[in-house]
Amino acid sequence: MEKTARREKNIRRQVLVVDDELVNRRLLGFIVSRDYEVIYAENGIRALELIRKNERLLSLILLDLLMPEMDGYELLEILKADPALKRIPVIVLTSEKTAEVKSLQLGAADFIPKPYDMPEVILARVRRSIELAEDNIIIHETETDVLTGLYTKQFFYQYCRQHDRYCIDMKMDALVLNINRFHLVNELHGREYGNRVLMLLADNIRTLLNETNGLACRCEADSFFIYTPHRDDYGELLAEYAERFRSAIESSRISFRLGIYENVDMSIDIEQRFDRANLACTNRRSTYTSSYAVYDTQLHERELYNEKLISDMDKALEEKQFRVFYQPKYNIKGDKPVLASAEALIRWIHPELGMVSPGAFIPLFEENGLVQKLDHFVWREAAAQIKRWKDKYGRTVPVSVNVSRIDIYDAQLEEKLREIVRSNGLEPNEYLLEITESAYTDNSEQIIDKVNLLRKDGFRVEMDDFGSGYSSLNMLAALPIDALKLDMQFIRTICSSEKDLKMVELVIGIARFLNVPVIAEGVETEEQYLLLKKIGCDIIQGYYFSKPVSPEEFNKLIEAEQKEELLC
Amino acid sequence: MLTIDSLREYGADVDDGMKRCLNNEGFYLDLVKSVIPDTRIAELEAAIADGDLDKAFETAHALKGMYSNLALTPLSAPVTEITELLRSRTQTDYSGLIDTIKKKKAELDSL
Repeated sequence: MEKTARREKNIRRQVLVVDDELVNRRLLGFIVSRDYEVIYAENGIRALELIRKNERLLSLILLDLLMPEMDGYELLEILKADPALKRIPVIVLTSEKTAEVKSLQLGAADFIPKPYDMPEVILARVRRSIELAEDNIIIHETETDVLTGLYTKQFFYQYCRQHDRYCIDMKMDALVLNINRFHLVNELHGREYGNRVLMLLADNIRTLLNETNGLACRCEADSFFIYTPHRDDYGELLAEYAERFRSAIESSRISFRLGIYENVDMSIDIEQRFDRANLACTNRRSTYTSSYAVYDTQLHERELYNEKLISDMDKALEEKQFRVFYQPKYNIKGDKPVLASAEALIRWIHPELGMVSPGAFIPLFEENGLVQKLDHFVWREAAAQIKRWKDKYGRTVPVSVNVSRIDIYDAQLEEKLREIVRSNGLEPNEYLLEITESAYTDNSEQIIDKVNLLRKDGFRVEMDDFGSGYSSLNMLAALPIDALKLDMQFIRTICSSEKDLKMVELVIGIARFLNVPVIAEGVETEEQYLLLKKIGCDIIQGYYFSKPVSPEEFNKLIEAEQKEELLC
Repeated sequence: MLTIDSLREYGADVDDGMKRCLNNEGFYLDLVKSVIPDTRIAELEAAIADGDLDKAFETAHALKGMYSNLALTPLSAPVTEITELLRSRTQTDYSGLIDTIKKKKAELDSL
């Protein structure tokens, strides 16, 4: 009763009692009027008049079957055939068992036997029939999208789940279908035209559903979700759609993008399955032709992995999961290679993922700006390390650190670096900065100004990855740099490619002209080392001498050299 | 005078009838009184006499519903019996049943 009261929200619903027998009419009316407003009719014709008149108000009809003029069956048939009236539930009053079946077939919601049940039973049946009918209307009105007649999203998901319960072994595809540049379609041709396009697409989807027994909804604006048994011919399907649009809508340049998550994993939520299809759809960037993309598990896992790295970074900094390793650079001008400096390289020892390569996280952090935090961390660590070595061995091993593109735009860059150097009791010339060549070409004026300022402060600047960007000779001449660092790519093929060897010779020539040393990194073999030495390269970095090592390991390199010096 | 007690004495299942009227005595008695002027028993008798068993069935069926709802058992029992015979259009002598019905109706009228 509580539930009824709440549902009814003070609305007193109207019930029509149709019976030719006055006593029955009065008796039933007396019972029902306890909870409802009751109107009466003594035959089918009179009942139909009242039903039409009270169409919107009427919640239920209690209908006797055997009546003069128009009987109950005839009235049931009329109601069933009328879309406006068939929503009104009818409870049939009957004393005949055989009449029950026929009434139900004609759409009766329930029946009440004669002589009447106890009033509570009658009221309960009346209430339940009204509730069911109202729920049905609410569901029907909210489950479909008004424009296209396809399901709305929440109902769609519900029906998909229901489908899975009954068809456990069926291989299903989740599809997300979007119209390319739909907002422009709307803007250019007007909303009415846009709606026509959406309705036409919905019709096409319905045709597909009829063939495959699938389900579909309009998720939002121009985004349609389709859940259908697996098929292989989506390319053809799209071409077919595009063709139908060309013939149905004049001057139509409508194209689609389709994201497919094939043979969905039934163990994940339906929402997640469509997230995957949506991901495939979003990654499909072609905007002028119809195309489709299939969800790729590996791609997704990579995205998840990347997302994890990004979200874990702050914690990693706090918990000191990042460690700075050092790779020595050796001067090879003399007879014996001499330790000249080192490059600081970051390593991430992730508590769950283990050692994460910088190649995996640096590009991510460059993209979202987090790389600045990392750079600052490395800068401070490197300066402190230079100081430690200085204290321990009485010599400076200059360390080069990476200055990312985003750092260049930091107005406080010089101040920050000065502070780091100063607080460790170092001179700026003990500290090397590496700036990638492509940063120079991006915005050469600003970077040249910045590098000039840094060098004025005493810092030494190495141009990293030289040869990978597009520096003009003109710009090179004007560049304020202290060393050229060859792109690793050349070193890799220097022994096998005549062209690359020539390139390296050329770069060395440029360096001579600029009067700066050339550093080759990524040197792995003796052959490479000897060749580079022969053509005049100044400094070498790479596995041939040492991989990047921890500060403790690096100590040994310094100590080894000191021992050798003593021997000499 | 027609009262709950006199109806009970007459043989009506008063408790059943009263429940159906939400135990409203006045309403129940009012409904019972309203069937007294009803002339359909005479119509039923005439239809049977005319051999119009279709009309006789309809009339009997209507009376059955009415008397049963009011729990007027002395009337609803023979009326139900005659309704079932008429449903199958049985050719038989209905006079005995009609007499019982008329007698019970007269008893009701005299309460």
